[in-house]
This record gives sequence, structure tokens and C-alpha cells, in this order.
Amino acid sequence: MNPSDSRHPWQRLAAAARRLPDDRDTAAPYGFATRVAALAMASERVRVSLLERFSLRAMGIACLLMVAIFAANYSAIAGAFTDDSLVPGDPVAEMLDGSGS
Amino acid sequence: MADDQSFDLAGCLDRVRQRDQAAARELVEHLHPLVIRIVRSHLPRRVAEEDLAQEIFMKMFTRIGQYQGAVPFPHWVSRIAVTTCIDHLRAQKRRPEFRWADLSENEAEVLDSVMTNENDVAANDSFAAHELVHKLLGQLKPDDRLVIQYLDLEQKTIAEICALTGWNTSLVKVRAFRARRKLRKLFEELKRKERS
Repeated sequence: MNPSDSRHPWQRLAAAARRLPDDRDTAAPYGFATRVAALAMASERVRVSLLERFSLRAMGIACLLMVAIFAANYSAIAGAFTDDSLVPGDPVAEMLDGSGS
Repeated sequence: MADDQSFDLAGCLDRVRQRDQAAARELVEHLHPLVIRIVRSHLPRRVAEEDLAQEIFMKMFTRIGQYQGAVPFPHWVSRIAVTTCIDHLRAQKRRPEFRWADLSENEAEVLDSVMTNENDVAANDSFAAHELVHKLLGQLKPDDRLVIQYLDLEQKTIAEICALTGWNTSLVKVRAFRARRKLRKLFEELKRKERS
């Protein structure tokens, strides 16, 4: 006999178990909803503030790195703007020079 | 969910998304009966129902931003409740063996009676039957147990189980088949042990 058969011992036990009334209260216990709501809102705030804190810290570090890189390479960067003459020995410069004459 | 008609769920959800704590409290109070029924019927051993309910609500609030409205909100919450219960049941890797020796006198009598005759269990033996059913369910895998519990104890349809769990029809049917096969083997074993 299969347990899906209504005469199977399982089905008769299940039918008897169903007859047992469950009269336990289903309302939230006193203070439960307040506690859960407060915890949920607080944990959300912690997550947001952590994100804020880490992103601000990352931005600060990125700014410092940018300043350091700029300082270390200042001469090269400044030279790139001032030195606009063609480099001697550069094949492109020589070619341009040749075509001009 | 006593006052289903008067409760403005959509409005409450909007307020919760705007981090309104009073709305969050109202939502918990509104959904508590639904969640606690699921928790009580799938409560693992040594886990307090209030702790499990709290865990479910915390998950609900964490994921509330992901709710798109594809299914009714109570169904969405019941899926969270069901998966949380299953996770807890899975965490209890060891399932206690079902033995005649561990049954109370009344439980053993009821079990013996259903296996040896075709009569219904007497009304005053409902509690023993209830205990036996839960001990037998404890022998099943958590997913299979959940399906058979919904089908045979709560008499839900396959469609209702799909809506509550988010599983598809064939998965529910396969789990029901597997659970019944295990129950059949269990009863055969119990009969054999009783005879021996």
C-alpha cells in the first residue's frame, strides 16, 4: 500500500494529527515587533554609514595618491607643456624638416 | 493577519522603504501570524520559534529593496520563511533514528494499531498521532518533509505549495514521491522490527 492511499497507516496518522486543534496565539508577543523593527532599521543605518565611511576614506586616499604622483612627475609634466621643439634625431622630425626645405 | 482588508500593505511597504520604523513595526505585526505558522510547522529541534521568526523578519527587511511585486508580498515573505526553516533543518545534519523503544506507551499503541488494523485513530489519540507524525517527518530530508507536510497535514494543493515555496510543479511532485517512498520503507521497516 502506498502512503498516498487514504487507508495507509501514514494517512490515518496524518488525519488524526490534523484533528488536533492548534489554539496557540499567532499574534506577535509584546515588544517583538518594536524590537525587530528597531533592529532592522539600525542594521540598515550601520550598513549605510559603513559604506559612507569607506567611500570617503577611499576618496581621501585617491586624492593623496594623485597629489603624490603629480609631485613626483612635476618636471616631466611641466616639460611637456613648455618644450614644443622637435627632438633632434627623431625620424619624423627629420622627415618634416626635409620636406620643408 | 486578522485585518487583511483594512491593512494598507502597499502604503506600509512604501513607508518602510523610506525607513519609517513605525511602519516596520506595523508590517511585522501584520505578517507575524503568517510567519509564525510556517515556523511552528517546520521548527527544527532546539530552535526557539521567536528566534527563527526574528531571523526571518530581519532577512525580509534586508531584502525588501529586491521585492519587485511579481508575487504577492505575503508569498514573497513565506518563501523567505520556508527557505530559512529549511536551512535550519539542513544544519541539523543528524536525524534521530526512529525506534520503537523511543516512543511513549501511547504513541507505541497508536502506531501498532494503525499498522495492524484499518481503523481510524481514536479522537483522544490525536496528540499521540501528532507526535508520531512529527517523529516520522523527522526522518525525511528537509525539502521532502516540507512538501509532504504541506500536502498531507495542511492539505495544500501542488499549486499552493509552488506559490509558497517558489518551486516548480515537477520539483514538488518529485519531492512528494521521494518522501512517500521513504515513508513506505519506514513503515515496512517498523513492521519488520515489530514482528522480530
